[in-house]
Amino acid sequence: MAEATEYVDAGHAVDQVSLTTVVGTAPQVTRNVTYQRILRARSEPHNWLTYYGAYDGQRYSPLEQINTQNVRRLTPAWVFQCGSAGLQAGATTYAFEAAPVVVDGVMFVTGWDGWTWALDARTGQELWRYRHAIPFDTSLCCGNVNRGVAVANGKVFVVTQNAHVVALDAADGKRIWDKTYGDVRAGESATLAPLVIKDKVIVGSAGGEFGVRGHLDAFNLDSGEHAWRCYTVPKPGEPGSDTWPADGEAWARGGANCWITGTYDPETNLLYVGTGNPAPDFDGAVREGDNLYTDSCIAVDPDNGQIRWHYQYNPHDVWDYDSISEHILFDLDGRKAMAHFDKNGYCYILDRTNGQLIRVFPFVDRITWGDVDPHGKVTPKVYPEKEGDPVHFWPGPAGGKEWTHAAYHPKTGLLYVPVQDVGATATRRRREFKEGIPYWGAGVETDANDMAGCLSAFDPATGEEVWRWRNEVPMCASVLATGGDLVFAGEPTGEYNAFNARTGELLWQFQCGSGHHSSPTTYSVGGRQYIAVPTGWGGWIEGFAPGMLGAPHGAALFAFALPD
Amino acid sequence: MTTGTESREVPGLFKQNGATIGRLLANGNLGQAEEGPEGRMHARVRIPPDELVWDPEVLVLPHGGDLELEIVNDDDNTHCALLPSNGDSQFIWLVNHSRGTASLNLDGPGYYWYGSPTGNDEGRGLTGAIVVMGEAPPEARLDRPAQPRP
Repeated sequence: MAEATEYVDAGHAVDQVSLTTVVGTAPQVTRNVTYQRILRARSEPHNWLTYYGAYDGQRYSPLEQINTQNVRRLTPAWVFQCGSAGLQAGATTYAFEAAPVVVDGVMFVTGWDGWTWALDARTGQELWRYRHAIPFDTSLCCGNVNRGVAVANGKVFVVTQNAHVVALDAADGKRIWDKTYGDVRAGESATLAPLVIKDKVIVGSAGGEFGVRGHLDAFNLDSGEHAWRCYTVPKPGEPGSDTWPADGEAWARGGANCWITGTYDPETNLLYVGTGNPAPDFDGAVREGDNLYTDSCIAVDPDNGQIRWHYQYNPHDVWDYDSISEHILFDLDGRKAMAHFDKNGYCYILDRTNGQLIRVFPFVDRITWGDVDPHGKVTPKVYPEKEGDPVHFWPGPAGGKEWTHAAYHPKTGLLYVPVQDVGATATRRRREFKEGIPYWGAGVETDANDMAGCLSAFDPATGEEVWRWRNEVPMCASVLATGGDLVFAGEPTGEYNAFNARTGELLWQFQCGSGHHSSPTTYSVGGRQYIAVPTGWGGWIEGFAPGMLGAPHGAALFAFALPD
Repeated sequence: MTTGTESREVPGLFKQNGATIGRLLANGNLGQAEEGPEGRMHARVRIPPDELVWDPEVLVLPHGGDLELEIVNDDDNTHCALLPSNGDSQFIWLVNHSRGTASLNLDGPGYYWYGSPTGNDEGRGLTGAIVVMGEAPPEARLDRPAQPRP
């Protein structure tokens, strides 16, 4: 008989973070972050209180310590490195896409595989971390990504790739509540930064490439109780349902996901959300009609989730032209306006009180899919129609601009947009719908050798391009505008750039070692202004810059400042 | 020309220093967690001598929730475990002939990898999977007719 083993007691497993010098706590800076304070976010420019910096989505900070005169002296103040351990979902396609939120010296930022970090915004020291365990097999159309947090009432709100929304204690990162709001078996996921409006946190679903039915959800900030759900594809009998085939279940697989954070106007009490592509992306024959509310701006009452009005940019889209991009709110000649750069290559200026089109103009050089006339009438010209017949069109499915954000500078009155000038070939291939399986309806290949990009400044009052900074590769990162008459924009090749907001002159550049596909922010601590830049090239590169698929991946957050 | 065959028919793929240097991942035994009356799940995994594999290598949970895991190292070498859990990954050091525990909280459905992050244990075979079955909760699912699955 074998002798019984006398085991050494290995004890109980510990949090991985306990094997670091992370302190585990952060100052309670978000306890007094209320809806009223977020409404006035721009009045405290040392902070970046919400995803876009303010509800209006301008991605503009009045901070002016770093300006056109001294930006050439900008230098890294600290770097936060965030590598991973073990196998993780989207191991190759992850990207560091977040917008760092900063409150009174504490930065809250998310990584791609369930991470949320609190950092000392002055030193980069990690204060606490939360890691949600993400299933390896989560359905991700375009990579393992997360775009950031919302903060309020002492909490940090974050979504997970497997479609949870989690409230964390901002003081230590411990989970307070956790709600599931999507069905991973249906192909749903979540990637956006939540948005706090009044007593609710609002989130949207991803999964438009899997034939789901898009929706927004709202939860009570403190209790996590579900407040409402707003579907972005109507059921039979509901308003807009006549834009879907009367027979069959195309509506049930219709897409229209809201995978980017909306903007909000407290005066209209409307949340402006862009919706994604219809499904299947490229096979329109199985979903005849305009397919509301795909590829639209929907104006949603945040109190009850009802759609008040909509503007559809791409009726019956067959190019994968999601309209998820931000709607930037600003005043134009005394009119409450908003700007939207659509994947289809056109910029739309709308009246945000009623969705009326004010102006539409192209912002990318090559547009062959069709055109949009000054009244917004869409005329498709080139699109996948015949089974097995390859069709080439510009812009490709990632669009003249993808999700990464434009900015508006109130002092120059200009919009600044990162432009991707890349085409693609789509060949319609009908396929049977199966839940959880990609549902594109085509084979797609984006041009790898013929690509270009630019950072362009447009006057929304005229639609004229005021200046352009040309690049050999697409520009795929969000733009940041500051009171120092600067705009910042990163390149896929790793350079982070500062431009004169009025002339487009390149004033400063730093090579970060990995491409940019995130939303940098700015803040100040102790009177010193910082520019926070997550770098980590990834995501749907094969869609927006396949010629850069082999570029360094990276995973770091740089904070730049002027020398002490 | 490449001819398809069952991986089991290739000798030495699932042992140390056979066809490969290590052991091909995720082809070991399969085990089921047991659910206690309090709703917590319980399971045990061990590292047998000289195999550099978790046994079971695929651990199946009937649904998401809390798992109490006993981890036994019966090998004559030192290993460790880095396990997924909501909040933070869980780490335990496992010297030769040691036994420890871990408390994990996982969502379902889906599957998660874990491993022994020392040397290249993970590549040699000490990479295991925790499979969580089940459905998303009813309140999270889409309001639509039941759809066909693969």
